[in-house]
Amino acid sequence: MSREAHVFNLLSAYALDCLDAVEKAQVEAHLRECDLCRADLQTYREIVQVLPLVGRESEPPPGLKSKIMQRAAQARNAPATQNQPIWWEHLAAYFRKGAPAWGLVGLVLILMLGANNLLLWQRMNQLESKAQLPFSTIVLTGTETSPDASGVLVLSQDGEHGTLIVDGLAVLDSASQYQLWLIQDGQRTNGGVFSVGKDGYGSHWVSSPQPLASYSSFGVTIEPTGGSPGPTGAKVLGSES
Amino acid sequence: MEYTRLDDEALIGFVQQNQEAALSVLYDRYGRLVYSMAFNALQDQALAEEITQDVFLRVWNKAETFRAEQGKVVTWITSIARYRAIDVIRRRNVRPEGNRATWVDDPGFELPDALNVEAEVEASDSSRQIRRAMAQLPDEQRLVLAYAYFQGYTHSQIANALGEPLGTIKTRIRLAMQKLRQLLQEVDHL
Repeated sequence: MSREAHVFNLLSAYALDCLDAVEKAQVEAHLRECDLCRADLQTYREIVQVLPLVGRESEPPPGLKSKIMQRAAQARNAPATQNQPIWWEHLAAYFRKGAPAWGLVGLVLILMLGANNLLLWQRMNQLESKAQLPFSTIVLTGTETSPDASGVLVLSQDGEHGTLIVDGLAVLDSASQYQLWLIQDGQRTNGGVFSVGKDGYGSHWVSSPQPLASYSSFGVTIEPTGGSPGPTGAKVLGSES
Repeated sequence: MEYTRLDDEALIGFVQQNQEAALSVLYDRYGRLVYSMAFNALQDQALAEEITQDVFLRVWNKAETFRAEQGKVVTWITSIARYRAIDVIRRRNVRPEGNRATWVDDPGFELPDALNVEAEVEASDSSRQIRRAMAQLPDEQRLVLAYAYFQGYTHSQIANALGEPLGTIKTRIRLAMQKLRQLLQEVDHL
């Protein structure tokens, strides 16, 4: 690969997360194939990690620590469960957002109604109250590189696991797959790889080391078949954080 | 248990077990750093205080999500602080002022006494080296770095905020980061 083909000049900005969308996608596509640029990127990431140490210092208010400790104690004593919106409110919100693919919603419903489908229904049968419904949903929308794509992540009631359903994604060649990322505090955890059919539709059972509900957002990128340790390819779907 | 003698990872382990004393020590070590990051990002005391509370409550509630293999505790905490501050800027459409004062001018910096000795030596070395390197950058490069790091601005947003050509901003960011890397490599930091 010629030096001109590399993205050295963009890597420092990528590490700072200050690239505009088009260049960011360009860098991510290149990083997927280039060990040299990935290594160069790592040196900039190490710099970004120590930048907080260079910030001008300010003295926190004297009562701040006691407020934090008080809230921590309250959080510890709070009930473990929280009231969550019921399932049709999630779906209603999805419709209100102008979901781009009605067919996708239909597929979601088909999935939900499938008698053999997943642990979600097993858990529903165990519910003590009919008012407790077995799932919630998170909408994923297409990025600039895949504006027609859409997705829904259906979470089990306890937030432990779920199923990702996507539509409108491009069919990839055999060297690439889509990879789901579970995001929290800037850290991305592998959520598994999947492919889509010729119609751009696909579903993916998601398991993770932590309950899915504990992640703040989700994203899907294009990665080499089998997945990558961290996202390197173009982002095609993302949820609101 | 004398928590102040424990390293950060051990403290996170005790936080996972709901030991408030462990969270207290983590605050003593990094509360000022987190508050400073939030204040540098937002230039607002009330918001900085709110973000600092959010960060340590996140540590308290989500300590089990810390992954030692992905980085140090301080990196995890500062990452939470950075993205929380950027999130507030974006969601509330905050337009912070005063970036010129964001980076320290004095490279002769000392860390708080609360850190254990080994960590203090290591962190002090890192701090001094990166501060000395930052102090050698031209003001205009320090400024664009502050916009990118603390406020989460993209190249285009920085160019708009400063009224400078986009290419100029890209060059400043690139040269600043290259210079920092070069200076830190010279002291065998990386």
